[in-house]
Amino acid sequence: MTDCTSDACITCGDVAVAMRVIEVDDERCLALCETAEGERSTVEIALVDAGPGDEVLVHAGTAIA
Amino acid sequence: MRFVDEFRDAELGRALAGEILSIVEPGRHYKVMEVCGGHTHSIYKYGLDDLLPANVELVHGPGCPVCVIPMGRVDDGIALAHQPGVIFTCFGDMMRVPGSDGSLLDAKAAGADIRMVYSPLDALRIAKANPDREVIFYAIGFETTAPSTALTLKRAKAERVANFTCMCNHVTIVPPLRALLDSPDLRLDGFVGPGHVSTVVGARPFEFIPADYGKPIVVSGFEPLDILHGVHMILRQLAEGRCEVENQYKRVVPYDGNPRALQVMAEVFELRPHFEWRGLGFISHSGLKLSEAYADLDAERRWTVPGVRVADPKACQCGEVLKGVIKPFECKVFGSACTPERPIGTCMVSSEGACAAYYNFGRFAREREVV
Repeated sequence: MTDCTSDACITCGDVAVAMRVIEVDDERCLALCETAEGERSTVEIALVDAGPGDEVLVHAGTAIA
Repeated sequence: MRFVDEFRDAELGRALAGEILSIVEPGRHYKVMEVCGGHTHSIYKYGLDDLLPANVELVHGPGCPVCVIPMGRVDDGIALAHQPGVIFTCFGDMMRVPGSDGSLLDAKAAGADIRMVYSPLDALRIAKANPDREVIFYAIGFETTAPSTALTLKRAKAERVANFTCMCNHVTIVPPLRALLDSPDLRLDGFVGPGHVSTVVGARPFEFIPADYGKPIVVSGFEPLDILHGVHMILRQLAEGRCEVENQYKRVVPYDGNPRALQVMAEVFELRPHFEWRGLGFISHSGLKLSEAYADLDAERRWTVPGVRVADPKACQCGEVLKGVIKPFECKVFGSACTPERPIGTCMVSSEGACAAYYNFGRFAREREVV
């Protein structure tokens, strides 16, 4: 379980994380993204126009900007 | 890192602090509320209040979604988690929020299959991987998080994932702000507006604050210089006799928000007639539920939840903290009976909670001496 008391918990509240788009699956509106620390995860990109190399702001697995 | 490093520049921060000092009126006490828990967290993480003049007081608002969940809704979630065959999924902070008889973490220890997820999409993946089980996602959050839940529900409906439901606790930011402004025991001079909520809803919904209440609001980002700049813009408005919505976080927040996010929320959710907020009571049209088109995915329709209203513990003063009436360290149980390891109140649970922010960044020791 994430230690939510030590620093911001990205899953809750108004916290969002900047990630770079690596690869886009247009059909499923999903993208493989990477944080500055190199952590990769699959992100919903239905709410933004984003392509490989773009920086997106990700909150709870969804790019909101 | 772009958009981060340049907003943590200490020299610029000190220069901005000097600018702030030059525009405040000596002898006038300024009370500025940061609406969002993310701001509270940054303010204490970076010690920003130490850079402000003594007569500029930052008051912490109700913008931490975990902190405003009432005990009864936690109990409802625990009741669902104990249903046979259910996999109950929720965000990490939610696991430790105390209900009337323990937390979700306690329920997990007692045998309920409760799993932490990082996104609603993770919960849907668990549902697809376990077609013989019922998977419930316990959704919390303001408009920042609601689009993510909405997209996942749309995906579940489109892919006909029949064993996935959502217990919706999403809330909206404008009604509690109006309730706070109507509160007779609160005098505020302005607001630092929520940055990422505004990414979705835009800055426009906050126009009622200057129009109806005569207070300035500046939507601000979360890096140290963003917050200092936001406070500076509020104080400048006050110094110049202006009162309007300004957007400090233009690099992320469009004035009209994200239309795709607003559209998907409008499709999947509808407003509840009223919703209970911890410490603030029932607020009209402040909570979201699933719309009729998504009724099949509503956990509260698939199962019966107790729905019992539970009063907050008497010792806990989260309500006053959430309204900015008292500082966390002024609560009777702060740092003694209530700590992040054994929280009594929700404000001590979430990293965005004002009490946890005070506790974790050592703010209580010095301020207690002052008291």
